Amino acid sequence: MTHIRPSMANPASTDIWAVANSPFLWICALGVFAVIFVQTFLYIKAARRAAPHIDMPASELKESFRAGAVASIGPSLAVVLVAIALLALFGTPAVLVRIGLIGSASTETASASLAAISMGTVLGGPEYTQQVFAVAFMAMSLSGGMWMLSTLILTPILKRGGKKLAKTNPAIMALIPAAALLGAFSMLAIAELPKSNVHAITMFISAATMALCLFVAKKLELRWLKEWALGFAIIIAIVSAYFTHTA
Amino acid sequence: MTTAVTSHADASMARFEAETTRYGSITMLAGLVFSLLGPVYLVFFSGLEITASMIWIAFAAVAATFGVFWLVEPLTYFPILGSAAMYQAFMIGNISNKLLPAAIVAQSSIKAKPGTRRGDLAAVMAIGGAATVHLTSLLIFVGLLGTWLVSMVPTEVIEVARLYILPSLMGAVLVQAIVSMRRLRSTIIAIALALLFQFLIIPAAPKVALFATALVVLLSIVLSWVLRDRKEIHTAVEAD
Repeated sequence: MTHIRPSMANPASTDIWAVANSPFLWICALGVFAVIFVQTFLYIKAARRAAPHIDMPASELKESFRAGAVASIGPSLAVVLVAIALLALFGTPAVLVRIGLIGSASTETASASLAAISMGTVLGGPEYTQQVFAVAFMAMSLSGGMWMLSTLILTPILKRGGKKLAKTNPAIMALIPAAALLGAFSMLAIAELPKSNVHAITMFISAATMALCLFVAKKLELRWLKEWALGFAIIIAIVSAYFTHTA
Repeated sequence: MTTAVTSHADASMARFEAETTRYGSITMLAGLVFSLLGPVYLVFFSGLEITASMIWIAFAAVAATFGVFWLVEPLTYFPILGSAAMYQAFMIGNISNKLLPAAIVAQSSIKAKPGTRRGDLAAVMAIGGAATVHLTSLLIFVGLLGTWLVSMVPTEVIEVARLYILPSLMGAVLVQAIVSMRRLRSTIIAIALALLFQFLIIPAAPKVALFATALVVLLSIVLSWVLRDRKEIHTAVEAD
C-alpha cells in the first residue's frame, strides 16, 4: 500500500501511482512527445519548400503558425485542467499520452471505465488495483492504436478517391470541405443544447462573444482580435458557466 | 505561360503531399509503437498477474463502444483536413476541440479557403502551431507541475471546466466557421440537418446518436451540392 518505488508492483495494491509513474512509462510518454515534435518540424519544412511555388509568401505561413498557436491556447488550457483532474486515476505518463495527446478526455475515460467494468470494478473504486489500471491502460492504448491504424490505412485510399473526384468534378472539391466543416460543427454545437440550461446558455454566450469579437475586429481592422477571439469566447463562456452553475 | 505556372505549382504540391505522406506515416507508426510500449511493459513484464483473457475482454468492451469511430472519424475528418494534416491530427488528438478550430482561425486570418492549396498549407502550419503550444503546456502544467497543481486548483473549477468546456468552445467555433466559410446555403443546410437529427431523429432512434456527426457531415455535402447556386459555384472555384 505504501510502497512508492516503481519496482514494487503488486496486482492487488490500490497504490496506482507506484506503477503508473514508473520511469519506463515516463520514457515512452516522452517518446510520443518527441515523435510529434519531429513530425511538426518535418511538416513545417515541407510546407516552407512548397509555399513559394504556389505564390504563398513566407509571411502567410508564419501568420498561420501564429494564428494556430494563439487559437489553441484556450483549448489547450482546458485540456490541461481536465488532465490534472485525472492524474489520480491514471498517473502522469498515461494522462499525458492518452488524454493530452492521441485521444481526448471523454473517449479515453470512457474506454478506461469500460475496461474497469469488464473486470468487475469501477475507476477509482476500492477494487481499482494496479492490475485493473494496467488492463485499462492497455485497453485504452489498443483502442487509440486502432484509430491510428485506420488513419494509416484509409488516408492513402481517400486521397486517391479525392484526386479522381477532383479531376472529374473540380467544382465539388471547392464545396466539400466547407460543407463538411459546417456540418461537423453544427452537429457538435447543437448536441450541447439539450444537455442542460447551463449548457445552452454557455453555448450562446460563447457564440455571441465570437460574433462580437469578429464584428469589432472587422470594423476596427484589428487582426490580433481575430486570433484571440476564440480564447476570449472560451474564457467568458466558462466564467459565466461557473456563475450560472453555482448560482 | 499560365499552364506552365499551374503545372509547376501542381508538381510542387504533389511533392509536398508525397513528403508529408512519407513523414506522416513513419512518425505515426513511431507514435503508435511508443504509445503501446508502456502498457505492454506493464502487462507483460511487471508481475501484475494479468492474463490474456482479461485484456481481450476489456478490449472487446471498448471496441463494442468505440469500434465504429475507428472507421467513421477518419472518414468524417478527411474532407476537412486533407491528407497531410490527417497524420498530424490523429496522433496529436483533440481534433474537433483544438486542431480544427486552430486551422479555421489560421485560414480565415490569411483569407484562404479550406481545400485549396493555400488552405491546406495554412492548416498544416496552424496545426503545427497548435501542437507546439499544446505539447509545451502539457509538459509544463501536467508533466512538471501536475501533481502540485492538483492540490492547488479548487475541485469546483475543474468540475466546471470538465462540464462546460464543450459548449464554451463549440458556440464560438461554429460562428467562426460560418463567418469564414461565407456559404449561406451550406450553413442553413448544415444547421437544419443538425437540428433535425438532435431534436427529431435521435429522440426517435437513440442509436443514431453514435453516427450523428458523420451523417450530418455526409448529408451536408450531398445537399449542399444538390441545392447549390449554379451561378455562384463557378466563381467559387477560384484559382489560388
